[in-house]
Amino acid sequence: MESFFKKYFEGRAIILVVILVIFAVLPLILPVGWLSLVNEMLILAVAACGLNLILGYAGMVSFGPAGLYAVGAYTTALILIYTKIPFGIAFIAGPLIAAAASILIGWFCVRLTHVYFALLTLAFAQIIHTIVFEWYGFTKGDDGIVDIPVPAFLAPIVNYYYFSLIIICICLALMWMIVNSPFGKTLQALRENPERTEFIGIHVRLYQLSAFVLSGFFLGVAGALFCGFNKNVFPNYAHWMKSTEMLVVCLLGGIYTFIGPVVGSIVYVLLDKVITSFTQYWPLVLGLVVLALLIFLEGGIVGFIFRKAARSKQKGG
Amino acid sequence: MVIFLIAVGLSLVFGTLQVLNLAHGSLYMLGAYLCYWISATLSQASGSYWWALLFAPVIVALFGGLMEVLLLRRIYNREVLDQYLLTFALILIIGDLCKLAWGVDFLLVPMPWPLNGPIIFMGMVFPRYNIFLILCGPVVFVGLWALIRYTKLGRIIRAMTYNREMADALGTNVPLMYTVVFMLGCWLAGLGGALVVPMASAMPGMDMVILIECFIIVVIGGLGSLSGAFLGSLIFGLVNAFGILIVPRLAIAFGFILMIIVLIIRPWGLMGKPE
Repeated sequence: MESFFKKYFEGRAIILVVILVIFAVLPLILPVGWLSLVNEMLILAVAACGLNLILGYAGMVSFGPAGLYAVGAYTTALILIYTKIPFGIAFIAGPLIAAAASILIGWFCVRLTHVYFALLTLAFAQIIHTIVFEWYGFTKGDDGIVDIPVPAFLAPIVNYYYFSLIIICICLALMWMIVNSPFGKTLQALRENPERTEFIGIHVRLYQLSAFVLSGFFLGVAGALFCGFNKNVFPNYAHWMKSTEMLVVCLLGGIYTFIGPVVGSIVYVLLDKVITSFTQYWPLVLGLVVLALLIFLEGGIVGFIFRKAARSKQKGG
Repeated sequence: MVIFLIAVGLSLVFGTLQVLNLAHGSLYMLGAYLCYWISATLSQASGSYWWALLFAPVIVALFGGLMEVLLLRRIYNREVLDQYLLTFALILIIGDLCKLAWGVDFLLVPMPWPLNGPIIFMGMVFPRYNIFLILCGPVVFVGLWALIRYTKLGRIIRAMTYNREMADALGTNVPLMYTVVFMLGCWLAGLGGALVVPMASAMPGMDMVILIECFIIVVIGGLGSLSGAFLGSLIFGLVNAFGILIVPRLAIAFGFILMIIVLIIRPWGLMGKPE
């Protein structure tokens, strides 16, 4: 048994290193256009993993992750536009403000369950959207904030790619630690049975709120990263289409696995790119893809692969 | 008042099937487009709009029935998230199909005859069609209420809402009744769409706007409650109108703030029952 675990983890470490090396040498092989696509994938992966903290692990279906994502993006953008504060601090401020906002929003939302939780998160996200959209004097409304000053060393796409790769690795490692900590296990217990978890002396609301805030923090990181990447921010970052995009990414990859949202975002961005080059009816195709997923591929891509693997192992043993 | 028709359909479907149909707004849009299409095709005949008003909701209901049998039925026992995503996928599909079929222009149906003029009431001038729309709400409300209260179908619906297994055990064909209720909800959405075309025109994006407003209304009133949807529409209409008067740009935020307040004080809605 022990040797099995050892082998398992060593095998994982090797795969992890290989993947990291592949991502590290990508800029040398890929043309710039594709590199920015990969960058986009990675940022979406952080957002989706952040959402998955509450969605897959704590079982709280949020409809408004894009609100917090936009808070992160706009905080960084506004600081860079209006003040002379260096990029580093502005970048850290994004996630922190997003986390602060999620304390406020979460404080209301964790009182509710199921449909009502989902609708209340949606309502808050739409309020953020409305504020951003209508407050012309401060957020420039639907014109968005364009030409955000990013330090010169991050301006070339290759440099920014490495910058975001580092940040993303740190975030994913942190989230991996969170979900495997006692805290993460408690969240999973909460998902399976809130009443029983409460009986063994867990403060359910507090745990849910902490998960919500952590998730908000990582969504903020993704927002701030995307703000630096795109150098423009627009109100539609907070729109509920964006929230649904994140939900679809999680589902596509599989919500009960850690790596699922990462795989989901890679597949999603590729699909988006390929299909929009053929037809303008991308939503139609996306809708059909989601339908097919729901009916034929329960548990997402990664969940599907894991199940297949488990089954073949059973057959072999 | 039209929004009441759509909200009550959403609420009815949720109350009975326990599925929050995100594609409800899309069915409303479909109703609007179909109404335009039928009345444009029949434009030579007299009363073409009235034919459209009759047939468009029926077609929407048939479409909804198909949706329920082919897709929704598979996921009743699955996680809530799967239901959201399935109905969301339908939003995307229906939205794009409407775009494919009718393009992206605003499509307006001329005001139908006897309602195409103003009416003078207590010295003030109102467009006749608006009065007609305002009357539609209460008529449908009373009709639905009577249906649920006094008919056999209504009794079965109430029984299923109360306890699905028991209704099943007592010999009700639950899957069939689910289809019927879902089609009724779709018919209401289609009717709302068809009614609104002469006033507001059919256009892409109308599905999302109405869906968000419906959410606010059913949450305020209480999900699954008929009178709640009615009360919710009235309150929402008033708040929205005041919002437009005071700060027109932030009108929709008022609706959301109202919803948040209701959810915090009475999470099950004004007329709903606590779980």
